[in-house]
Amino acid sequence: MPSSAKIPLQIAGYDILPLSLPRLASFPQAAIHYLYVAPHQPKLPTSTASRSLFLVNVPFDSTETHIKHLLSAQVGLPAGRIEDVQFEGQRRKATNSGGALSIKHKQDKNSKKRKRGSSKIALDDMEGAELPSTWDRDLQSNGLTAVVLFVDRASMNAALKAVKAVRKEQIELVWGEGIEDKVPALGSARYLNHHQLTYPDTGQILESTNNYMTKYAAKEASQARSAAKQRQEPDEDGFITVTRGGRTNPAKQEAAQELAEKQKEKQKGLEDFYRFQSREKRKERAGELVRKFEEDKERVRKMKERRSRFRPE
Amino acid sequence: MVPPAYKKRKRSPLPSHNGDREPSHIQDSGALFEQQSKVADKMASTRSSLAAQNDTRSPSTLTPCSIYHSNLFQLQVDELLLKVRSHEGRMANAENALRKLKTIIERIPNREPRSILQAEREQHESHTVRIPFPNPQPKTDAKFTLAYSKPANINVVGSYARKTAIQTEDQLGIDLAVTMPLSIFQDKDYLNYRYFHKRAYYLACLATAIEEAEECTFVIKYMYQHGNHLQPVINVSPGTGDDDFSRSNCQISIVLAANGAMFPMSKTLPDKNCVRTKTEEANTSDSLAIPTPFYNASLRSECSSLAYLKFLHGASLQSIGFANACVLGSVWLRQRGMRASLSGGGFGAFEWACMMALLLQGGGHKGKPVLSKGYSSYQLFKATLKFLAMTDLVAKPLLIKAEFVDVTASEHPVLFDGARGMNILYKMTPWSYAMLRHDARSTLDLFDDPLSDHFHACFIASFNDPKQKFGSIILLPLRQIRPSASRTTDAISEGMAFCGQAYQALKTGLGDRVSLIDIKPPEKPAWSPMNSKQHTTRTSRIQVGLLLNPEQSNRTVDRGPSAEDKEKAAAFRKFWGEKAELRRFKDGSIQESLIWPQKDPQKTVLEQVVTYIIRRHLGEEAFSGSNFIREPLECLLPYQSITSAEARAVHQPGMTGFEPLMTAFEILEKAIRSLKGLPLQIRQISPAHPQLCYTSTRVPILNPSQCQMDPANVHVQFEGSNRWPDVIEAVQRTKIAFLLKMGEILEEATPNLSARLGLENTDRKMLNNAFVDIIYPSGAFFRLRVHQEGELHLLERTLRDGSHTQAGRDEAGSAISTYKRNFVHAPLHTQALRNLSTRFPLLSPCIRLMKTWLDSHLLSTHISDELIELLTIRTFKHPVPGYPPDGTMPAFLRTLAFVAKWDWRSEPLIVDCSKEEKMDSKAINDIQFRFEALRKLDPARNRVAIFAASNIDPKGVTWTELGPPNMIAARFTSLARAATALAKEQGLAFEPEALFVPSMTDYDFVIYLAPKFTMGQHGAEKAVEPVFKNLQTRTQEDRSRLGFNPVRMYVDELRKLYGNNVVFFYNSQGGSVIAGLWNPQTGPRPWRIGVPYNTTPLASSGDGEDYVSINKHTTLHDIARLGGDMLLRIEVKQ
Repeated sequence: MPSSAKIPLQIAGYDILPLSLPRLASFPQAAIHYLYVAPHQPKLPTSTASRSLFLVNVPFDSTETHIKHLLSAQVGLPAGRIEDVQFEGQRRKATNSGGALSIKHKQDKNSKKRKRGSSKIALDDMEGAELPSTWDRDLQSNGLTAVVLFVDRASMNAALKAVKAVRKEQIELVWGEGIEDKVPALGSARYLNHHQLTYPDTGQILESTNNYMTKYAAKEASQARSAAKQRQEPDEDGFITVTRGGRTNPAKQEAAQELAEKQKEKQKGLEDFYRFQSREKRKERAGELVRKFEEDKERVRKMKERRSRFRPE
Repeated sequence: MVPPAYKKRKRSPLPSHNGDREPSHIQDSGALFEQQSKVADKMASTRSSLAAQNDTRSPSTLTPCSIYHSNLFQLQVDELLLKVRSHEGRMANAENALRKLKTIIERIPNREPRSILQAEREQHESHTVRIPFPNPQPKTDAKFTLAYSKPANINVVGSYARKTAIQTEDQLGIDLAVTMPLSIFQDKDYLNYRYFHKRAYYLACLATAIEEAEECTFVIKYMYQHGNHLQPVINVSPGTGDDDFSRSNCQISIVLAANGAMFPMSKTLPDKNCVRTKTEEANTSDSLAIPTPFYNASLRSECSSLAYLKFLHGASLQSIGFANACVLGSVWLRQRGMRASLSGGGFGAFEWACMMALLLQGGGHKGKPVLSKGYSSYQLFKATLKFLAMTDLVAKPLLIKAEFVDVTASEHPVLFDGARGMNILYKMTPWSYAMLRHDARSTLDLFDDPLSDHFHACFIASFNDPKQKFGSIILLPLRQIRPSASRTTDAISEGMAFCGQAYQALKTGLGDRVSLIDIKPPEKPAWSPMNSKQHTTRTSRIQVGLLLNPEQSNRTVDRGPSAEDKEKAAAFRKFWGEKAELRRFKDGSIQESLIWPQKDPQKTVLEQVVTYIIRRHLGEEAFSGSNFIREPLECLLPYQSITSAEARAVHQPGMTGFEPLMTAFEILEKAIRSLKGLPLQIRQISPAHPQLCYTSTRVPILNPSQCQMDPANVHVQFEGSNRWPDVIEAVQRTKIAFLLKMGEILEEATPNLSARLGLENTDRKMLNNAFVDIIYPSGAFFRLRVHQEGELHLLERTLRDGSHTQAGRDEAGSAISTYKRNFVHAPLHTQALRNLSTRFPLLSPCIRLMKTWLDSHLLSTHISDELIELLTIRTFKHPVPGYPPDGTMPAFLRTLAFVAKWDWRSEPLIVDCSKEEKMDSKAINDIQFRFEALRKLDPARNRVAIFAASNIDPKGVTWTELGPPNMIAARFTSLARAATALAKEQGLAFEPEALFVPSMTDYDFVIYLAPKFTMGQHGAEKAVEPVFKNLQTRTQEDRSRLGFNPVRMYVDELRKLYGNNVVFFYNSQGGSVIAGLWNPQTGPRPWRIGVPYNTTPLASSGDGEDYVSINKHTTLHDIARLGGDMLLRIEVKQ
């Protein structure tokens, strides 16, 4: 592996922070992980961007504890200056928790037309109704990024300076040193934990399910109410919106299509009634045969090309 | 003769052929031959394809059809004929050699008649070449004399002369027939080997001349023609310089022939005796009672080689398709290991051609020809196969143009050619004839199966390997015995007599345990002309192949004749000796019977029976020298067991080991159906797991103290209701409520049953979120999930709904395919396998063996179980030689052979999993069409590499869309190729264990797991085994660990984290290693934020852009960190 001397100090404006990885019984060689650090410059400026650092290539086992420990205790800054650490996956979760459904919800907000027509029940407010997590600690995929939010800009600058200093003075930082007991262990313990979390307490799961169902029922009822209201009252332009669920038997698009196809089938009439029909059919068949023959010839030609065997083994 | 009426009926619709449809459509289409023979005539052939595409048998399409099976087949056959017949160019050298030999032979001076003693002495004194007298050796005081005079003529005969020889990897045989002059023979020479002794001297003279000729350097050897010891011939191998004809890849044999009119035909008919002993000569009336058909036919074949050349030439002039049909027949026979020699079955290209030529003349109803002259080559071929399959020439000897001959029924087949006075099947034995008919029948069966590759199976694939054919093979030391059956004086060699005896004993003793017995005597090699006789090697062994009847082969009780039937009972006792015992059976009958104990799992019942028969009927010597090539394959299957009782259960053949779990499943099914208090009625309970269809690698052992490791999946479907929520996420949550309720009621209903709710896919809200694990006190372990049909509709609506982002749609799409795979196809697949397993008892062990094989090569996590199952089903449902395998070894090797040859890049796998009815051609065409569309869309096969469809899954990607990718599929093929090559190379000494040893050299790094976490034989939990039975009570703690497999979770997580950069290989059945290969696409790339791997910054290259490369070392460290205490070490390839 390349020695740390050859590693540039910066890459594309990011400071490179080498981290030594602790030696393991199963992998006793030394290994160095490279973390890239820069001030956070998001495309859409946010209020907190000015006091945030942006980290690239965080180790897969990073946790908030890890990063906080690294950027305070390990680089030599007082603790408590970091307000929050957000990993990329988590960031995504925070903005659109609830998955696809809430995306729709957001779009509903943006477009007026949609909003009126929407009958989907958005379930983004599901506190107390979520399924318990089955992992004790999330892992970060490779190359992922994190945003570290400091309490103020000065702390952020201090941290960045400290990172540069580490590089200059060639201080060896060992990843995760000193916090081994503060984070859940990896290895078999992690999987045993996972196995146990897979089977949550029945009471807990029952409660969450009940909560969910209650909320779902409430949402459904309110949706139904608003739909009913829409059906009865004309809007400001004097139109009555057509909404789902008005009739006793909701018409299904599929059923209607099927019916239409059946009707079409019926209208076709006899196929061999006129002479021209049978003549055309014959012609068609002959054409089909010629086509098939050509296809087969083509297949054999391809087989020859692939050097399929025509010679007995 | 074909009545000309057939010609007139050209292309007219069939008026009155309903009685015998099959032959009539062949005949009618035969009338089309002239058109058909010109392939260029497009319309004719396309018309024939119409019928082939539709059902060939429906009367409406009978008219101008099925000259070939299909267009494709026809084109392939044309190509094949072109390939195997094109050897003109390189035969010049051989032709030169033939000419040279002819001049040498023509120059040989005459030798005056002399006595045997004189002749032998002269050879000894002045020549090195000896006289190859056949047994029995001539008496030195015999009255006849030996002489040499110029041959009557010298001709090339055989298939080379008729230009129907096929060009393969084997050497081409060219027969140079030297016709001996009449002058050296006397009228009565047909008696008592006199002809053959004179012939041997003549041959020695030829050999002497060639050996001593100065202008040639040929290497000559003596050899028995077709292994018949009466007919030694000279075998000429390439010499040096001008005489080197090795480029022609052929072998020249100088055979001797005699004038056809030399001996009267009436004297050598099959019912005449020509070998008389001294006493019999005095009393001729007695001697005539025991005919010598083999001797007579051998003599007759000497006298008629030219006659046959003319006869066959005539046939090929009469019938245009004849020559090509001969070629097709030769290829077909060759691929099935049938040859003209005695050890090869006695039915070769020559016999095939003669049979066809004779059938063109007669053999049918009222002496009408079986074959028509108007047939195309393929029709001739198929009709001949049909004749072989349908006609039993042993029970009903067929005499053509031979009203004067009376053939007594024997156990040998007879097809007597009256014009030339010879039974052309004289070299065939009862067993080789049975094998030939079996092959013919199975080839015809093959044509009925629309899904097998007819052309490949018929002409290209080779079935010479007995390991792929016979479920059981026994090697017996060859003993020279006199034919004991009668006082026959026929010239059957002693080895053949022993084969006959073994055949009879095994046939009687094995009964319906086997469907066929095949015996191969050893080949007789050529020997140097310095010796008069071939040195028989001590070690020569005959090979007995048993085609087993899987249902019966390991039956433990044989019921013989009833005690009242004195005669049969006595015969039974005589055959079985002290093993026979009289027993009273449950149904009240008292019968002679045999009981075979099944004590030793290593020694099957079949092996016991066979060894007993060999010992009793073939002698102690044969017994001690015999070698039963048993099936060690089932012992290779992994198992987990702790008591000897369980070990026995596991070793039981077939599927008996699965029975306890099946019973437990039935109990569960009943229990769920009788549940009270659920809001909805239950519609269906479907098993969806390999353990529940006999195909899991490990037999699930039920043991109260130790549960099987993996739960068996079961789906419960409730009746429809409109009260299910309208949102997918809510459906998943509602299912949790159902599961909780079901678990609760089940726990109440059965004491000691434990039900616990588990979560899965918690990060994907569209997928099934929960299951209930049911653990019975007996140890049975099931995993229940609720199947709600409405899910699919909701998911599809999500997909169609335009309002979602691409990511949302992708998620819905993948949720749909997951739903279909888990809830629609898995239960169907399981059900199909349950059905097929009862139909093919060997399917289950073979599938398990295939899985074990893949496991041992660390591929099992890439290739889905279902794909393996489909591949193996193919071996049984669409067997390539036409009949399903009869043992685990043939099944396994055939499956491997298929995988080795299967070009998955351009061919779909289509399997018919139905029990009875066949897939119709439309369904097959649809699948084919789908496949082609898929390849057009994704020619690099990035999304789906292997396409595997079946009648229950016509989409074809269900089991392969999650893998294997191209690279793994290619590795699969190459491993199968290597395995097939090894099996072929090692022959009968093949040790299947060698196939299961993985090679670790191909991987970039190998992770070794700590022994505590490798599952070994007993599973991770069983590291410490309790000694006392009463301590084995299961605590709650133990139960909570059920199904815990940390290594699998670790591998899954590795895949999730590093799947893009590393391909991991792991044996899911508990290997001790995880191997990895770096993805070659992880080279240096310019810096950006989202590089998908752990990076090392590279020193600036100067062009302004900064590059990073993968940090392999640190990635390995990460892998080690994640594994923690589970890893022992990581070894990196240097």
